[in-house]
Amino acid sequence: MRNNNLCTEIGYNSLIKYGEQLCGDHIEIVEPDGGNSTVMVLADGLGSGVKANILSTLTSKIISTMMANNLSLEDCVSTIAATLPVCEERGVAYSTFTIIHVLENHEAEIIQYDNPHVIMLRDGKNYRYPQTIMEMDGKTIYRAKVTLQENDVFIAMSDGAIHAGVGMLLNFGWERKDIIDFMETMYDKEFTAKTLTTILLAECNRLYDNKPGDDTTVCTVKIRMRKPVNLLIGPPSNPDDLNKMMSLFFSKKGKHIVCGGTTTTLAAKFLGKEIQMGIPEYLDPEIPPICKVDRIDLATEGVITINKVLSYAQDYLKDNDSYKEWSYKKDGASLIARQLFEVATDINFYVGRAVNPAHQNPNLPINFNIKMRLIDELSACLKQMGKRIKVSYF
Amino acid sequence: MKITICIGSSCHLKGSKDVVEGLQQLIKANDLSDQIELSGAFCMGNCVNGVSVKIDEELFNVQPSTTKSFFEQEVLTRL
Repeated sequence: MRNNNLCTEIGYNSLIKYGEQLCGDHIEIVEPDGGNSTVMVLADGLGSGVKANILSTLTSKIISTMMANNLSLEDCVSTIAATLPVCEERGVAYSTFTIIHVLENHEAEIIQYDNPHVIMLRDGKNYRYPQTIMEMDGKTIYRAKVTLQENDVFIAMSDGAIHAGVGMLLNFGWERKDIIDFMETMYDKEFTAKTLTTILLAECNRLYDNKPGDDTTVCTVKIRMRKPVNLLIGPPSNPDDLNKMMSLFFSKKGKHIVCGGTTTTLAAKFLGKEIQMGIPEYLDPEIPPICKVDRIDLATEGVITINKVLSYAQDYLKDNDSYKEWSYKKDGASLIARQLFEVATDINFYVGRAVNPAHQNPNLPINFNIKMRLIDELSACLKQMGKRIKVSYF
Repeated sequence: MKITICIGSSCHLKGSKDVVEGLQQLIKANDLSDQIELSGAFCMGNCVNGVSVKIDEELFNVQPSTTKSFFEQEVLTRL
């Protein structure tokens, strides 16, 4: 196994054709080889609605499963041809596909059949990767192999993306080269795969005048360095474990976030540092102010702040609409969201199970169970974002 | 004189922000910025009765609606 400290981040989303309830495009991701390799398949089924949905789901499931088990592309293609139900109206079984196979975070193989070709950005600029053409079962298939570098970005899309705006805001839609120009302009190396996807889809939706004429799917694959972020919340249930918990936490590489007033007080004491608070600043009226402590990258309030981070995380996994809030605001919840969603690839939670005696009153809206539930739900969301999560309880 | 306002989770939900802003306004209106230092603080262990506010080391409970009377009765009289 190569250990180049790179990892693969994937973010995708779809616009569904106006008036339809199901998307005819489908994305399937598998991580064979203990998570060191990734197979992403984007399939676009013939037509729209239920029929297209079935075709694309079958296609992407079959290809991803077979590829993950090291079966040849020829086998995959012939299996699909033999398996897909034939459309009665059109007499064909048809679904286009794009495969991005990242091997040990070192090399990417791109295989495409009839979808718009994958756009590759290297350092934010279009990179023309050499392709070979092959015929398989009467299908023309393009293949490419690219040796990966940090910050390489691959943007796969269904044809809904290049048809955006046809006959509406634009006469002929925008072409692949227009999408390249647009993404080169919007590119920022801090943007995550999901953010790049959101930016492109929002533009497609705008060109469609919010009424997409076709299912439109974008899947961005970004190659980036692993980055750990550590988050400490709550004092340990046994006060004797405090030093152990703190030394483990602060010895970890990466950023250190401490949540909770009492927890921050204990952490500052452990470090022998002062808490700098001053006049509380309310950057978001809902979220309690943050404070500054040397050696702690970010110190915030606990439950209310994390609750907000959780709602941002849930939205991130859906349409990512609240990106426009947390991406720039400076309150505790937005700052944590940026660290966890954008900066981190590996997140270590240090969760103390001490019960705050001051909170044990039925008249208070906060209790111990809420805190534990919040951490469970947040780590589940972060896992879905593709982060590696480790939770240690004290 | 130093006034410290708890901004812990419970007090936050009970209106720390309004108390902080209320006191800031009252201090400004009475031109007392030179004499009163305002600051936030974490949990004072008095969540049930919050919002917890300390004048130097003396603990009080203030609600957003009682900020003005607290200021008049407890703060002004101590200066």
